[in-house]
Order: sequence, then structure tokens, then C-alpha cells
Amino acid sequence: MGMDIGKFLKSPEYDIMITTYRDIFQVEALERDRFGEEYKKLSAVISISKVDLQKMGLKSGDRVKISNNNGSIVVEAKESKRDEPGGLAFMVNSPWSNSLVSGDTRGKGIPEFKNINAKISFSKEEITTTDNLIGTIFKKSGSI
Amino acid sequence: MVTCTGCALLCDDIEVIVENNRIKETKNTCRRGAARMKGCTNRLVPSIAQKPTDIESSIRKAARIIKDARTPMLFGWDNSTCEAQIKGIRLAEKINAVMDDTSSFCQGLLIERILHKKFRTCSLEDIRNKADVLIYWGSDAQDSQPRHLSRFSYFPRGESRQRGYEEDRMAIAIDVRESNTAKICKGHFYRIPLRGDREFILALIEALSGKVPAYDTKKMLELAGILKKAEFGAIFVGIGLTYSIKDDFDILTALADKLPNFNIMPMVGHYNMRGFNETLFKETGFVNKVKFDGKAIHDNRYAIMESLNNKTIDAIVVMGSDPLSSLPIPLIPYLASIPVICIDPCATLTSKIAAVTIPSAVSGVESGGTAVRMDGKGIGLSTIIKSDHMTDEEITVRLMEAV
Repeated sequence: MGMDIGKFLKSPEYDIMITTYRDIFQVEALERDRFGEEYKKLSAVISISKVDLQKMGLKSGDRVKISNNNGSIVVEAKESKRDEPGGLAFMVNSPWSNSLVSGDTRGKGIPEFKNINAKISFSKEEITTTDNLIGTIFKKSGSI
Repeated sequence: MVTCTGCALLCDDIEVIVENNRIKETKNTCRRGAARMKGCTNRLVPSIAQKPTDIESSIRKAARIIKDARTPMLFGWDNSTCEAQIKGIRLAEKINAVMDDTSSFCQGLLIERILHKKFRTCSLEDIRNKADVLIYWGSDAQDSQPRHLSRFSYFPRGESRQRGYEEDRMAIAIDVRESNTAKICKGHFYRIPLRGDREFILALIEALSGKVPAYDTKKMLELAGILKKAEFGAIFVGIGLTYSIKDDFDILTALADKLPNFNIMPMVGHYNMRGFNETLFKETGFVNKVKFDGKAIHDNRYAIMESLNNKTIDAIVVMGSDPLSSLPIPLIPYLASIPVICIDPCATLTSKIAAVTIPSAVSGVESGGTAVRMDGKGIGLSTIIKSDHMTDEEITVRLMEAV
């Protein structure tokens, strides 16, 4: 029986620059039920230009792990519907994108919500849930 | 007609169909407004230590927590009426609390300057009646304030703009992304690199001053030409622009000085964020980030971010806000380690870690009052359906009586 060597290989990591935006459908879902599937589906997504997806060997619908010093999430990669020049990926503002934002504001009180640098790689892990996000917080605060 | 509290446009031309004391249908609302008015699926219930209790016990427990705290913070308030906000300030004065709202990491920088009259500004009615050149800068109104273009800026007829968008108005988008608003601004979308706003402003100032800008010369001169010809222009400043120039905000003033026919308009999300800024400004001279200690002291260290970063608060009342959703996650472990009192109509991520939860009425739906639209106009809110829930104002008064 052949061995699936692929599962032992680490997927290649790429640098990615992310900015955040608002989406009316996601905001609507937030107003209805911020714990619901719809809100998760519309939030745990990264929109990447066709050219960047190709460069990274990813395709629309793949799950990707996005990590930096602030946190790590697994979301769905989607090809941008817009004609993007590449070099910048987009996430709707949500607890998922906020997992990657530093708390350090250089004393000014405004974090870099729209200027996120991270590493991205193909992932087979499940999409991060709000329970995962809250769980991480509790672990760090020592509450459990 | 009732007022929608979906965003700071506070659309007051909404019709509702009420059935069995629930809003069954809304007319004229955007998706966001309709969802907010129809209500969330998870109403908050009173609890202490995540165990259900009665409302009286939860208020008593909350009062004890903030009374015993060395430095309590009262945070949120942007989804509450002006009447609740003023009571919040009184409570903060009584317990020497730190007080802040989401504007400290949102449009506070801009609104502070507007209230200090550093910019020319105008009303949304002025925009509808007179504006011919509209610049959406770092703002995707179509997704954040979806009726902005249809009620006030691009599409409507106005006193001096009988032909609206077809002939009399031009819309321009300056953004890092071709947003849904940018798509409407056909032929006038200027894509800039991330954090490229400063360079763009400096080049535009050069072009407006009759110099040849090095940056994208042709497009910049073309844009300067359009702006110079404007009879009544508006720059709608979105959070994208505010964040990008936060360290050098005065360059926006320098640009405004070069555009005498333009008004600076803040694009605000939460329905009464400007109300909080104005209410606090009237009371203290500051729009956010204050600590009460006999008088109001204003400092960046009283911002929610810095208070959590520096671990200077030891209890927090979260009024109508969900910091677990909206703050950088690295700041949340400290928040989760102090007693959180969550006052909200709905269950939120924050309510899941709260020491005490106090359910409230949905303002603008289950309780009335007043709020301040993004341009500074006061707008009345109506009570549309009956509710047994206490209002934010009543809860705040009860807390004040109990501390």
C-alpha cells in the first residue's frame, strides 16, 4: 500500500498582507445571530486575487491557516470577484480578523485593524469557530 | 414613520408592520436596519457567574462590583440613546470611573476635530440639496451606511441638483479596494496602496497648488481639476482614511484648506457614536477617553485599548457593545480576567465571559429617546413595540442608586 507522503509534508507558507472591510450581508448576519452559521460562513473567509491564489498554489474553497505573532485562524480562501492587482488580501472585519491584530497601539489607542501581515498556508484543519476563539481567550486568561 | 437605528444615518422614513408585538416587516430599511429592527435570535438573560438569576439580583451584583473596584471602566454607549449616555456620565462621575466608547478606535479623531471646528462641515440635507462632487474616501457606504447614496448624496434630486447622478452629481471613490461604492463611481475610482492615503493627499495638495505632483501625475491633475470646479463638494471620510492617517491627521486639515468649496463629513457606523462624542464633549470638553476624578481628565491611556494593555482597570461595564468581537483578540485575556458587566439586548461573545449580564430593551425599537446622526443632527427615536425589558437609561439609574 502506498504511503501518503503528502500528509507528512508541511504546506508551504507565504507572506500575506491583509486589510479588512465591511460587508452588508455579514453585518446583517451579525445583527441576527452572531453565534450562527451564517455569520461564521461570511466572516471566516479571506478573499484573495486570482493571481495571488495561483502564486500560492491555492484554489477557491481551500481552507487556509493564517498566523502571525498575535494569533492563528483557519478560514476559507475565496477568489476575489473583483479584478484585483494582487499583493493584498481582504477579510471582513470580525473576531477572526481581529485574532491577527496586535493589541499594541504605541500608546495611541488605535490598533492596526486594516494593516495585517501574516503567513498563510494550505490547511486541512477545520474552520475556526467562535467557541475556538473564546476557548483561546480563556486559556490565556487562566480562567480555566 | 419611525427611525432606524441600524447605523448613524438614522433613517427616519421607515414603516413597520407589527404583528403579535413583533416587527414582522419593515419598509425602506436596508438589510442591516431590517435585521436590527426585527431583532436578534438570542436575547440576553440576567445572570451572575454565568448562572441565570433575576434582574434585581444582577443589578445588585453589578453595583457591588463597580463600587468595590479601584478603577472601574464604563465602556460602550454608542448603541444607547443620548438620555442613557448622560446618565452614564453621571454614574462615571459618582464612582470616579474611566469612560470610553468605540470612537477611541474608530472615528473619534475626526469627530473631535469637527466639534473643535477644525473642518468645514454641513448637514446631510445640504448634501442632498447642493452637493455636486462627492468623494467617498476609505468609505464603502454601500455596505456600511447603505442608504447614504440613495437618501442624501448621489442619487436623489435636490434643490440645486434636479438631475441627480445622471448629470448634476459626480461621485469619486478613493480606496485600497474596489468596494461596492467604488463600483458606482464609474471612471472615478482611484485605487491606492495600503496606507497610501498620506502620499495621495500630499500629491493632491501639490496639484491643487498648481504644482506638478510626482505621484500619478496625470490622474492627480485630472482629479484636482474636478475638485477645483466643484460648487459644493463633500469628502465622506471613512474609517479606511482615518486609520491610514491617524498619526498625521492634520494633513486632512491641510487638504481641506485647499478646497474651500468642500465639507468634511464623518462616516459613522454605530447609530449614536456621534451622540456619545457630543454628549461627553458638552459635559467635559472631550469626546472620549476620560477619567473622572472630581473633574474629567483626558488622556490616551484612558482608551479601552490602553486600559486593557496597561491593565489599569479592574472592572468594566460594557454597555451595548461587544469588545470580544471588535477588539484585537490579544487584548481579550485581560478583559476576561476582570469582572465584566454586560448590558445588552442580545447575547454576545462578551456576555459569554461576563460576571454579570443585564438584559436591556432594544433602543429605537422597544424604547425611544434621541440620538445624533453622523452629521450632528438630533433625531428622535420611537418606541415601536412594548417590552418588559428595562432601558439602558433605567439600568444606569438603578446602578447609580445602588452604588
